[in-house]
Amino acid sequence: MVDIEKLREIAREIISRDDVRQLIGYRQGTYGFRARPAFVTDPGEVDKLIFSPACVNNLATYITLEERLPVPRGQEPDLRKVAVMVKGCDSRALVQQMEEKAYERERILVLGIPCTGVVDMDKVEKRFPGVLARGEIVLEGDKFLLTYDGKEEEVAKGELLADKCTRCRYPTPLVYDQLLDEEVARFADDDYADVEALEKRSAEEKWAYWEEKFSRCIRCYSCRNVCPMCYCEDCVLDRLNPQWMRRSVDVSENTAYHIARAYHLAGRCIQCGECQRVCPVDIPLMELNRKFYKDVEELYDYEPGTNAEAPPLLSTFKVDDREDFIM
Amino acid sequence: MAEKTDFEPNIVAFLCNWCSYAGADLAGTSRIHYPPNVRVIRVMCSGRVNPLFVMNALQQGADGVLISGCHPGDCHYMQGNYYARRRFNLMRNFLEYLGVEPERVRMSWVSASEGAKWKEVIEEVVNGVKAVGPMDMFKRRQLNW
Repeated sequence: MVDIEKLREIAREIISRDDVRQLIGYRQGTYGFRARPAFVTDPGEVDKLIFSPACVNNLATYITLEERLPVPRGQEPDLRKVAVMVKGCDSRALVQQMEEKAYERERILVLGIPCTGVVDMDKVEKRFPGVLARGEIVLEGDKFLLTYDGKEEEVAKGELLADKCTRCRYPTPLVYDQLLDEEVARFADDDYADVEALEKRSAEEKWAYWEEKFSRCIRCYSCRNVCPMCYCEDCVLDRLNPQWMRRSVDVSENTAYHIARAYHLAGRCIQCGECQRVCPVDIPLMELNRKFYKDVEELYDYEPGTNAEAPPLLSTFKVDDREDFIM
Repeated sequence: MAEKTDFEPNIVAFLCNWCSYAGADLAGTSRIHYPPNVRVIRVMCSGRVNPLFVMNALQQGADGVLISGCHPGDCHYMQGNYYARRRFNLMRNFLEYLGVEPERVRMSWVSASEGAKWKEVIEEVVNGVKAVGPMDMFKRRQLNW
């Protein structure tokens, strides 16, 4: 577990530096043990920072989300660094963003958190209704310790762990300037069981499955907005000419939206699971992303977000790529 | 199903200017008969074809989509068809995962001299799409206010 005092001490040191503009971390949420992002610009604010299994957000999103307005003539742009706290999965988003040249490595300062897993709030809510708003949760060894209403309860780690953590290949950040704890060895692997189960179904069954899911979509675009890889300034969804998909909410347009969203993450999605977490109607978006993730690994031996020096998958090719599907 | 036998599919074909379009043209000038279901859209290179074109064609009423380009190594722009190959392998697999039959999304290499191959390709695509029937999964619904 990360020592909170040590985290705050390091954060204070970093935010006091002249070349750091702000630090993005986690702080206590309004209710219960939920955590929310914190944007620290002043050394006096670092005491708010925490890290707990409730820190689910991928903070890499905020680096590219920040609007960079044109600088008035005669003024220098603010080139100070942004410091960011990342878990293993989040660090891969940074790697992938840098692979795509979204920004230079010098522009960020990475505080790596070796992570042993975060909770899935939906699973907690399902098992202990209402506890989210008034309880406390800590990870001790291989158990989650829940405290609420004066009661204590122990739950096996696997039962409340987020799905992405049960398949996590990189618990220790792949890029960091300072590591806040001892490195964590890989404790899980991905076997794509969920994707393969769906692949085996017939075409009718697959479409019946997805039609039901897509018809629920209300097109709130939360999945796009939360995604650390969706940072195009001119998004295909906002285009009016050509208008790739209409804004109306029906199965046809929703399907088009989900195809476009998933395809734009082909070879880029780093499996942080944020899209699925924020979806208000519980569409299993990760099953779409994981299909690409699996294909990319099997066909092109490429894993997004692991090597900032490699060229992005779809902007390169090999002469002997598979072509058994071509007539 | 009975209606499948007289079902005439609409196939949208994206042909590259330098090989496949010339190949299809050769098939025409050589008076080779091939099924009339194909609607050709000429693009400068198969690498020009955005994978979203496929989605959009299927949404707007195409029953099948064909992308055709130069053979590997013959691309007029040296490498456009290699990029296209990667993109479409992923798109095809993904659409299959959603339940779109793989017969509907096809890719081929047809050179400028292969008028006869063009005929074979079109016959195979049309027969494949006829076998799986009309595409109505996520066809755009017309709103009647």
